[in-house]
Amino acid sequence: MASVFSFQAVSDGIVMNFRDGSTFGSIKKAVSLHAAEASDFFTGVNLYLNLSGLELAYEQLEELMEIVKNYNQVNKIYFTARKIKKEKSEENYSDAVIINRTLRSGQRVKHQANVVIVGDVNPGAEVIAGGDIIVFGRLRGVVHAGAGGSKDSQVAALQLDPTQLRIASLIARSPDDSDSSKLQAERAYIENDQIVVEKI
Amino acid sequence: MAGKTIVITSGKGGVGKTTSSANIGTALAMHGNKVCLIDADIGLRNLDVVMGLENRIVYDIVDVVENNCRLEQAMIRDKRYDGLFLLPAAQTRDKTSVTPFQMKELIEKLKEDMDYIVVDSPAGIEQGFKNAIAGADRAIIVTTPEISAVRDADRIIGLLEAEGLRDPEVIINRIRADMVERGDMMDIEDMIEILAIDLIGIVPEDEGIVVSTNRGEPIALNDSAKAGQAYRNIARRIMGEDLPMMKLEKDSFISRFKKLVGLA
Repeated sequence: MASVFSFQAVSDGIVMNFRDGSTFGSIKKAVSLHAAEASDFFTGVNLYLNLSGLELAYEQLEELMEIVKNYNQVNKIYFTARKIKKEKSEENYSDAVIINRTLRSGQRVKHQANVVIVGDVNPGAEVIAGGDIIVFGRLRGVVHAGAGGSKDSQVAALQLDPTQLRIASLIARSPDDSDSSKLQAERAYIENDQIVVEKI
Repeated sequence: MAGKTIVITSGKGGVGKTTSSANIGTALAMHGNKVCLIDADIGLRNLDVVMGLENRIVYDIVDVVENNCRLEQAMIRDKRYDGLFLLPAAQTRDKTSVTPFQMKELIEKLKEDMDYIVVDSPAGIEQGFKNAIAGADRAIIVTTPEISAVRDADRIIGLLEAEGLRDPEVIINRIRADMVERGDMMDIEDMIEILAIDLIGIVPEDEGIVVSTNRGEPIALNDSAKAGQAYRNIARRIMGEDLPMMKLEKDSFISRFKKLVGLA
């Protein structure tokens, strides 16, 4: 089912690409299912529906528009026919969003690529990124790098003291006796299927 | 007159919002300001009890927004200061009885002849909180030296920022010098480091608060109480004075001795 469409991150949104030769029926089914299961997937970003390689009747296009309306809080929906450069590859996530403030309890940042925070991430705040997470400040909240499954992602902070740190499908937490008073830049990454932390 | 509206809020319950509102309002009135306290905790009103004005309530804030009475009729004049008023909450209604828009209108009207309007916010982040911060020019967050209270305060700061209320200030309430000294209580620096906002006052733990609350006499009226002094200082800082923070003193040997023999 998932192979009917794929996603590609661009600077201001996400492109939804459809596999060549997909029938409208299979597209309809897959997108409706995704919209129902992950209705917040495009929250706050633009959605580009890439119609390249498809031939849709006017009514089918209308039907597709009705389905994508089920996604919550999409910034804008565009139809495009851009050429797909490459199958989506995780190494290509070079975009980064920069947040110039402290994230407080209850605040949440979610981005498909890298996230850089210039400020603290307080306990109760959450950062979720498809790529790396860099915090120029104290990291005390919950972070999830490589949320799409990329095990090459890393988390770095001037003070790494997260409530919980996740990379791809692995979860770690700070040791209970960690000394959080000193400022020591550290980074966490995956090595041999384990999250390791080293000073930088 | 163009009054300033200050909302006293915290997120967490039981940290001293109502006590702080009553004392800040009273202390501001002591300095000759015209002050109106608004109890925004509809359904769980308390400010009237702490102020000792419970038995004078005829109309309340819901009566005002529903036009059952004029604003002046619902405002209760304090028994100690002529310039101090209380607009009580309704006890038999709930938070949905007032909208943020109505609250804003009400405050705009009050601003015309008050120097300060102090809004006592309910705990939580729902409608009651949204009503309380509507129309506020300035926010003071009350917290205690507990992780849960600081966490909630942090959340509130974020919500206030989202509502355009920038640069809130914090009161650290119920601090105990002896526990901080022993490392059993978060110290002020730790808390300010997390919250990253300005400190407007520290209020030491004081048994006198319980007594004064039960009597309906704000502790700010008590010249000898430490907590009363702390609230009077906060009021002066609100008025723009630059006062140094109160030094937290450990119990001296003599006072400990007095406690031991039951003199204090």
